[in-house]
Amino acid sequence: MSPEEIQQIFFAECEESLAAAEAGLAACKAGTHDSDTVNAVFRGVHSIKGGAGAFGFGALQAYTHTFETLLSDVREGLVPIDPKLVDLLLRALDTLADHVEAAREGGDAPADAALIVEMEGAMAANGAGAAHVAAAEPDPEPEPASTSSSGTDDDFGIDLDSLLDDLTGGFDVSASATVAGGAVEPASWHVQVRPRAGAMRNGSEPLLMLREVASLGGRVAACDVSQVPPLDSLDIAEGYLAWTFAMPAEVSEDAVRDIFDFIGDDCAVTFGDDGAEGAVASTELDPTTDPAEVGTAAAEAADGTPAEAGGASVADSVASQPAPVSPPVQTQVASAVPPPAVEPAATAAAPPATAPAGGAAPVSGAGQSIRIDLFKLDRLIDLVGELVIAQAMLVQRLEGVTINASEELSLLESLTRDIQESAMSIRAQPIGSVFSRVPRILRDLAASTGKHVKLDVFGETTELDKTVIERLGEPLTHLIRNAVDHGIETAEARIAAGKSPEGTLTLSAEHRAGRILISIADDGAGINRERVLAKAIEKGIVSADAQLSAEEIDNLIFAPGFSTAQVVSNISGRGVGMDVVRQNVKDLGGRITIESNPGKGTAFILTLPLTLAISDGMIVNVCDQTLVVPLAHVVESLRPSPDDVQGLGSSQAMLNVRGRFIPVISLREALGAQMGSEDRLAGHPEQGVLIVVDTESAGQAALLVDDIQDQRQFVIKSLATNFRPVEGVAGATILGDGRVALIVDVDGLVACALPAQDRAGHERQVA
Amino acid sequence: MSKTTRVLTVDDSASMRALLNHALSNNGFDVSQADDGVSALEWLALNEVDVVITDINMPRLDGFGLIEQVRGGTRHRDRPILVLTTESSDEKKARARAAGATGWIVKPFDTDKLVAAVRRVAH
Repeated sequence: MSPEEIQQIFFAECEESLAAAEAGLAACKAGTHDSDTVNAVFRGVHSIKGGAGAFGFGALQAYTHTFETLLSDVREGLVPIDPKLVDLLLRALDTLADHVEAAREGGDAPADAALIVEMEGAMAANGAGAAHVAAAEPDPEPEPASTSSSGTDDDFGIDLDSLLDDLTGGFDVSASATVAGGAVEPASWHVQVRPRAGAMRNGSEPLLMLREVASLGGRVAACDVSQVPPLDSLDIAEGYLAWTFAMPAEVSEDAVRDIFDFIGDDCAVTFGDDGAEGAVASTELDPTTDPAEVGTAAAEAADGTPAEAGGASVADSVASQPAPVSPPVQTQVASAVPPPAVEPAATAAAPPATAPAGGAAPVSGAGQSIRIDLFKLDRLIDLVGELVIAQAMLVQRLEGVTINASEELSLLESLTRDIQESAMSIRAQPIGSVFSRVPRILRDLAASTGKHVKLDVFGETTELDKTVIERLGEPLTHLIRNAVDHGIETAEARIAAGKSPEGTLTLSAEHRAGRILISIADDGAGINRERVLAKAIEKGIVSADAQLSAEEIDNLIFAPGFSTAQVVSNISGRGVGMDVVRQNVKDLGGRITIESNPGKGTAFILTLPLTLAISDGMIVNVCDQTLVVPLAHVVESLRPSPDDVQGLGSSQAMLNVRGRFIPVISLREALGAQMGSEDRLAGHPEQGVLIVVDTESAGQAALLVDDIQDQRQFVIKSLATNFRPVEGVAGATILGDGRVALIVDVDGLVACALPAQDRAGHERQVA
Repeated sequence: MSKTTRVLTVDDSASMRALLNHALSNNGFDVSQADDGVSALEWLALNEVDVVITDINMPRLDGFGLIEQVRGGTRHRDRPILVLTTESSDEKKARARAAGATGWIVKPFDTDKLVAAVRRVAH
């Protein structure tokens, strides 16, 4: 994984963190928060700060630091949660989102100075600010110590051997044993290291640190064994030894101090300049055998076997020393201490880690999520789609065969269906991730329009396809801007109309009949149809004498280039019209409809498919061809009686559907009359089947087909990628018998089959 | 050290896990990941590890809670555990040490320091 990819993960995570913080602050605003809520907000900001530091986004890091500090105070209860604070936090969150955006896009960081002052004020006002002035300071300088100079040229490992010899050779516990063998060369300084009882706590291994000192060029000048007790009273958890190292001049004290940084007070590190003996002598006064400390160590070791106790490291470190060890000691150590678990031999026998070397195996608990490559997932879903087809082929192949396998076949069918649903659900995400951005949009709009809007959200846990969710953001944002900008009136106008001064926007999502319904409803003035119609006539979208139904007038706002705002505002009027919104929704395989009540409000209803990959379709026959009509467009199908279909001119026909006339389009003609030599339906549409379809641009139409074969799911294969775009054809699919069938592009087909004049005029046929 | 050092990284932030994984894998460590304390314990129940690196603030079970559980158990109680912290104050270090951490890594970390810290405690 490249650093760029990791950075992308970070930005995706920022979005999640921002959404989580937004949700938490919304709960704070509503008064439904608890400590977890505040902690979640804190964690969101904290996580962004961590990543900002790691990726070098200085401005973002600095800003999040202040924000986090304030949140920390809130979390600790130092700053009370009141409406004023929540307002500040919400504004801070908006600016944080801008910061993230700036970091991602490489733009200028937003102006945050005033907000930072305000946040610091919120801390200081509650007496919590002063403590944070010096926050995130670098490591403080460690306390100074004495320095010394003298040394030996002995190797570290050999010194340990000598030490062991000393240990076995008589336990001279009354004096420090100088194990330097060679000539003492003048070294710049000395350091004495004395691990205390606690040094082996917490999985620490002092031996590693001693080795590190040696790797810096340190030579053991002396080892103090004066504290070592007789073997039968030796506590393996205790620290009895102290080593004095002669360090080369070029090594700094800080470098040595750094080695023992982790272990802190559990290891006395003394720097001296008056020779090895002096340094040792001075630290011999160090009360390493303090009874209290021994007691602590004993208590810590009490509940485990010696090998498991933290202090096992003493024996461990001795035993694991690579240099030869004299036999008596080895025996003693071996009998006193079972082989420690950390020994390489012991771990080699343990079950190997499941993670492959160099790779990473993400671990996840129940209810947690894992990240997987979308490509892999789409491949799975594609394969499941193929499985569905293969299963259908099998059923079809076996239909004529008299084998007793119907039970197995239906089991296979239900399993296939389950696998498909599971695979689809992996791609599904709750729509809440899109809805959670809405409060921010409303706050921005409130600032720029002065219209304060209350948000009601329902069904935010409704799940739909990830791609649909991702591509839903833009049209949804536009619809919300549109609702606030054009739908909801100013506070004065609302009061005059007898409404509450604050408008309400209701977002809801629900599953219905295998589709997702999303509604964006405002309680504003509703669509001003007179003005819309006048505008449409002015723009030449409809003719001046056009007689349009209320619904048709409402739908005019989706016409390209339409804008009703007297003044094109910079909110909705960003060069993106409602036509683009409708196109976006249509691209997702969805539809958008309007329900507007003058004076009461407007609702935009988006009907979206659960997934983009698999659709339900009606398999129809036209001549010798099999075609698929996407079920999303199908309103009903019927076999008309002769009276239902009436001719209009020489070539057109209209279908009477319960008093309403809709144009009849022969699929045979629309797709090319050469499909069959003989058109048995020519002039006799009543002999075929009519499928009433809904279209975006041309209202309803009736497609004339020979007959309907089946209704089933199909996997869409792009014709454009595999062949080339074909007008009137949305794609292709593989049928159960292995044949390829074309999927009818209902919108495109109807639009091009019907002359524009008919489209505008056919509603006039209403009986 | 002849064998590969196995490191378990525990962080709820996927990008932080990815950064740790990137830095450690490139330096020859065998890296596994868990996204919170509970996941880490589940992993530790089935696997061996040489060093654990954990974030502190995580959902479900935080870093200190994880350390407490590991130190309170038997199987991994001697394992070195490094905590990821954004602050390097003595107070934070003392708290980490008191909670049972072997050491700490200050975020944002640089790769050399991270690797040095892991090598320092890996036994």
